[in-house]
Amino acid sequence: MARQLKITVDYNVCVGNAMCETFAENTFGLNEDRQSYVKDAAGDPEETIIEAAENCPVTAITVEDAETGEILFP
Amino acid sequence: MPANIHDDLFSPEAIRDPYGYFGALRSEKPVHWNDQYQMWVVTSYERLVWTARHPEYFSSEVALRDINPPSPSIPEEDMELFGAVRNWMAARFTQNDGAKHKEKRKVVHGYFTPKAMETWRPLVRETVNDLLDDLQGAGRMDVMHDFATPLTYSIIAGLMDIPPSDRAFVKKLCSSMCGFDGNQPDRIRMYAEGVQAVTDYLAPIVAERVRDPGEDLLSVICQGEIMGAYTRDEVLANALLLLVAGHETTNDLISNGVLAFAQHSNQFELLRTDPDSHIVNAVEEVLRYDSPLKSIQRIATHDVDMGGGQTVGKDDRVRWVISSANRDPEVFEDPNELDITRNPNPHVSFGSGVHHCLGATLARLEGQEAFAELARRFEGFELETDPNNLEYLPSVGQRTLLNLPVATR
Repeated sequence: MARQLKITVDYNVCVGNAMCETFAENTFGLNEDRQSYVKDAAGDPEETIIEAAENCPVTAITVEDAETGEILFP
Repeated sequence: MPANIHDDLFSPEAIRDPYGYFGALRSEKPVHWNDQYQMWVVTSYERLVWTARHPEYFSSEVALRDINPPSPSIPEEDMELFGAVRNWMAARFTQNDGAKHKEKRKVVHGYFTPKAMETWRPLVRETVNDLLDDLQGAGRMDVMHDFATPLTYSIIAGLMDIPPSDRAFVKKLCSSMCGFDGNQPDRIRMYAEGVQAVTDYLAPIVAERVRDPGEDLLSVICQGEIMGAYTRDEVLANALLLLVAGHETTNDLISNGVLAFAQHSNQFELLRTDPDSHIVNAVEEVLRYDSPLKSIQRIATHDVDMGGGQTVGKDDRVRWVISSANRDPEVFEDPNELDITRNPNPHVSFGSGVHHCLGATLARLEGQEAFAELARRFEGFELETDPNNLEYLPSVGQRTLLNLPVATR
């Protein structure tokens, strides 16, 4: 069983580039303001979600271990 | 037309002071039909972001979808050439929408992520120091020609691994193409000749790197052909796009920033007190205050209700004005003040939405290294010319100083 992740999008930073959705389409979507939102924190494998966060051009996405609070990205 | 606001986007005062011209338009009519150039001009922050984030209404396939004749007009005999240029422009990954844009952008996107770009910081720092070592004793420089352009061009040419002995020649070709969105009647011919010359130069290098790709940025673009996302023409068009866009905007960031600091010496003094802690916000503020790109064009795919009783028609040109949105008082307090501690600073100098600037992280990195080192070495800058005599490229899109002579202290 994969560990649970807590994924946060900083709405002051997100520019709606949608790269997160490109890399992890089951995890991220775009909301009405065309900014990223987490539709399912377990939508894709952990490495895919980290890859999506790494590919955000403005580093708006934080990924943590939901249980321990360990920051996995950035 | 709103009272007292003319439609001549190339008038000397609109080129010299886009903030005054577009600012007046923003307060009177933030979505305005410019009859002279046959395009919608969007100047409020809110409408700009909305437009940029609705690519399904506002297409980036501008070269292929713009069915209107060139404006300002070009000679009849250049119309065939204009058709060829449109096809060539359409081969850029940026000139795509939706799933096609994602597929084509993804080829190069990974190269430009914040994490990947950070590995180039030492090279940028070394290049900044080498250039300033040579300039520091002189007591003056032309910021554009002596510092900004050599820095940004040598970085992008280095990332693309253009052979050093060819770089001066390639730079000259790139410079010949800068009038594309200007008003010179021969601009399409100049541009087409530039494209042909750079393409002729790049073609054998590209052929070699498709056969045997390395780690450089040009090889990454060539991988697009290897994986089936780009044709050879697209490889060449994207290589030229990244070569030109990779330096001709960042040199504006650096020149416009030095000009801003020359005119706001208290802000440069503040930066000098602690460059390391101020530099990130300072570069964002310079980007906001005098953005390298003034505006971006799209083509409407449907009739779109823009609010305020304004309806953009299908196939209409829509140009959104970054320079105006970045000074919108609805979003920025004291928008006409340069304040290097401004935070948050949600400027739109890199655009917004799915077409957000690919090279934003590289531009930021170069800006941070350049201004931090300028602040460590110099007490300030004084313009060697009357500010009213500063000349800008006559362009709707680019905010480009032709020269920036300053005395350094």
